[in-house]
Amino acid sequence: MAKADNLQGALELLVLKILRRGSTHGFAIASYIQQTSDELLRVEAGSLYPALHRMTEAGLLKAEWRMSDAGRRARFYALTPKGRRKLEAEEARWHAIAGAVAKVLRSVT
Amino acid sequence: MSLWSRMRNTLTGRRLDDEIAEELQFHLEMDGAGGRSPRDARLRLGNVARIKEETRAMSLMQWLESAIADARYGVRQLRSAPLLVVTVVLSLTLGLGATTAIFVLVDAAIRKPLPLADPDRLVIFEWSAPDFPPGVSNLNGEFRRLEGGRRQGSSIGASLYRRLASEQTGFAALIGVGAYPDPIALAVEGAPAEQESIQYVSANYFQALGVEPAVGRGFSSGEDQVGHEPVVIISHRLWLRRFAGDRSVIDRPIRINNVPARIVGVAPPGFFGTRAGQWPGIYAPLAIKVAFLPSSGTAVRAEDDGNWWVRVIGRVRSDVPEPAATARLATLFRGMATPPGMAVDAPSIPQLAAFPGSRGFESLSARDTDALWTLLLLVGVLLLVVCANVANLLLSQAVARHQESAMRLALGATRARVFRQHLIEGAVLALVGGTAGLFVGDVFAQSIHRLFQTGRDASYGYDLHIGGRVVVNTALLSMAAAFLFGLAPAWRAARADIGDAVKGHARSIAGARLRVPRALVAFQIALSLAALVAAGLLGRSLTHLKAIDIGFDRDRIAYATVNPARAGYAADRIPDYADRVRAALAAIPGVMQVSTVSTRPLSGGGNANAVNMPGRPPEVEGGMAKNEYITHTNAVGEGFFAALGIPVLAGRALDHRDAAPGVSTVVVDDLFVRRFLPNQDPIGRRFGLGIDAKLNTKYEIVGVVANSRYNSLRNAPMPTVYEGYRPGGTVNFAIRSAVDSTALREAVRQAVASIDGNVPLTEFHTQPALIDRLLRTERMMSVISAALGGIALTLAAIGLAGLLGYMVARRRKEIGVRMALGATAADVIRMVLRDSSRLIGIGLAIGLPCAYGVARVLRSLLFELEPVDIPTTAMAFAVLSAVALAAAWLPARRAASIDAVSALRKE
Repeated sequence: MAKADNLQGALELLVLKILRRGSTHGFAIASYIQQTSDELLRVEAGSLYPALHRMTEAGLLKAEWRMSDAGRRARFYALTPKGRRKLEAEEARWHAIAGAVAKVLRSVT
Repeated sequence: MSLWSRMRNTLTGRRLDDEIAEELQFHLEMDGAGGRSPRDARLRLGNVARIKEETRAMSLMQWLESAIADARYGVRQLRSAPLLVVTVVLSLTLGLGATTAIFVLVDAAIRKPLPLADPDRLVIFEWSAPDFPPGVSNLNGEFRRLEGGRRQGSSIGASLYRRLASEQTGFAALIGVGAYPDPIALAVEGAPAEQESIQYVSANYFQALGVEPAVGRGFSSGEDQVGHEPVVIISHRLWLRRFAGDRSVIDRPIRINNVPARIVGVAPPGFFGTRAGQWPGIYAPLAIKVAFLPSSGTAVRAEDDGNWWVRVIGRVRSDVPEPAATARLATLFRGMATPPGMAVDAPSIPQLAAFPGSRGFESLSARDTDALWTLLLLVGVLLLVVCANVANLLLSQAVARHQESAMRLALGATRARVFRQHLIEGAVLALVGGTAGLFVGDVFAQSIHRLFQTGRDASYGYDLHIGGRVVVNTALLSMAAAFLFGLAPAWRAARADIGDAVKGHARSIAGARLRVPRALVAFQIALSLAALVAAGLLGRSLTHLKAIDIGFDRDRIAYATVNPARAGYAADRIPDYADRVRAALAAIPGVMQVSTVSTRPLSGGGNANAVNMPGRPPEVEGGMAKNEYITHTNAVGEGFFAALGIPVLAGRALDHRDAAPGVSTVVVDDLFVRRFLPNQDPIGRRFGLGIDAKLNTKYEIVGVVANSRYNSLRNAPMPTVYEGYRPGGTVNFAIRSAVDSTALREAVRQAVASIDGNVPLTEFHTQPALIDRLLRTERMMSVISAALGGIALTLAAIGLAGLLGYMVARRRKEIGVRMALGATAADVIRMVLRDSSRLIGIGLAIGLPCAYGVARVLRSLLFELEPVDIPTTAMAFAVLSAVALAAAWLPARRAASIDAVSALRKE
């Protein structure tokens, strides 16, 4: 399977989607993607953290230091309203594209 | 990405670097907690440093980008207030320009190293001894009294120098330089000779100083020999002036003092020699002085062992420490300094010592050095006034931009970022002002230099080109100024209340009391008072000096100087030559009288001696006669008193009889009679000059004239003795005429050339020009301090008007209410003026002690004035108050013209 960072848009979409459920830290995002994709998608820290910072700079996320469940300081990320709108737009776009791709795949046999 | 989000990101919280590290560390630990080995976890994480780098790269770039963005944003903001920007930049240009100008002068005259290779390796040798060294009869060069009575001298004999230089010493080279340049007559290709100055130097001068001639070559070692063909190197300035930069000048024959000589090289541009302030046009080997100045009779010759006139510079070798090398040279010097066969006691032998030589020989008198430092202090004060003014102008703008600042803070910009933004704006302004200041400074420095060089020829002058040192200095000053004036506005902007952004109107500032702007305006007024008092004191001192009764008719007198000896005239032919020139001068239309004089009155030079009356020998103290026995002496030709308009009070004036050899008849002035022959008939009385008590009958008094000033306006008048004048080398003619000085100068030049084209007109000065030259430090200080005072006053007025204008604008509504309730225009004007009078009063109160402080620093430059001078202070007070009230009048008028209805409706 392709690494997520070859699909930057996809990684961002996944991050936005995961954060939709509530704020969490980078490690949890990475773990979550890995688990729910049945280890199919492996997120490299080298892609994830620059992406998180880039998205923060772009105003899609906001970040703050909080105590993690493990009782250790961690940097928690959360969606901004702008991020929320971006998620909706991107999700719709993704489904449209994915649907279109599936259609083509089905029709050409 | 918007400016706002960049701001939020860049400077929020701790350093980003640490944050990334901690975030990754957390990731690592969590990964390890899942049961993997830490090493495995680290492998899975990848290259930590690279991730950090990638994550951070954006931020670093952003910081730089954001600074540039800030500057651009600042320029945009400033463009919306052009009037403010012009005022600020003009103020800064004046302040930084004035500071640059004085820095250029201080640097050129006092601080700059010589323009040659490795100046830090140069040392200057001087010696100390109880008195004149044994066997020395003539000393040319600095010779001063040290504490404890010893004397410090600077020059040695020419052949003594050559013997020292030929020894193996710890120095790479010993360079010999004539103590002062000598004036000479330079004739090129049949044109009439012109006055130039020559610097005699050792043959290794250019090579050892590391100065490469621009054209031709330096001297070779065989050329510093008596009898060698005279070869010279000319300065770059002379090359351009006299030879139009023609490269074929090499080997061209010229005549110096009517002696044939040959040019072998041209010094590089900007090389002025080894003493800043002097710029000799010609360099020749030491031994050539004998050829150019053949002396007749008993006069000392350049090569005499008893004539010390050569100063010595050493270039330190890299492998020998300077103290060891100097110690070795000092031992050699002790052995050589005494003429062979002369028995001397050890303590009288001069002791050699080395001093740092990177700046060359001392260039300014202590007085002029003081004056320059004082000027630097004054421009420093001016720059502070400028900063206060600019701070105020920006402050009123910062208040106006309050809402913008509040908005940015509300959007998440940190206060530090807003603060930085304002400082960057200040830096942009300072950069523009500083650049303009460099140009203005150049112009200022050249003008001050011209003032300072009044009455001096081209052989004087400082190298004032704007170099790296000046640019760096001005740039640093600009940044310091930017910080000074930017601090208060930036601080205010960064303190903006975020709530104001939401309210949409910055109401809360209406209550602000403008404490800082008020303090700054008061401060400006205080400093302006100090500057005005300084200008007043210096101006009044100059007026006092110029108003002194000099005892003769200054306006119609001019002096022409020639030196026939330098064109090869023997001493016995000179009186006849002088008579012929005198006749030619007297024939110029409009010239009423021509005489001759040895020391031109108030030219700065002169002679003095002790008066030795029979029965009243001078009291001697430390080898010198006490001051009350000292008289000036001068020698004057026939008709001198009539030419200058000095009345003869008794007896007769001097004429040609008194100049005959062996005759010692003299005329004395009234002060002489009152001091040495009170209540006696002076005519026919005899006296002597000098401290030898036996020589007290040489001179016979034949006349008494009125008092006149001799060589100083500052010092108390001294008695004067006039002898008959027998011209020797230099001849000064005193000319009384009704002709305009420019026309007279040309007529005199032609008259002199008509007698003998080989003798140039050496000097021509009117008496007022001589007095101006005598007072050049005072004139320079007076003009500059008046200019500084004027600038400071203007700035204070701008500052006050600006502040009041802003206050009126802010109180528009309140004033509207007052007027609606029946206040008249006069009431409103009174209100504004009352407010400003309080400000002016506070400023004046602070300014008085400041003024006193500045005046105390100026004390040594004042004449017949105390630092606390009531008329000057009162004048400064009055001028400042008047200007300040005038500055307040405009905003007051504006306040009075506010229309009550529209003011209220606008809210």
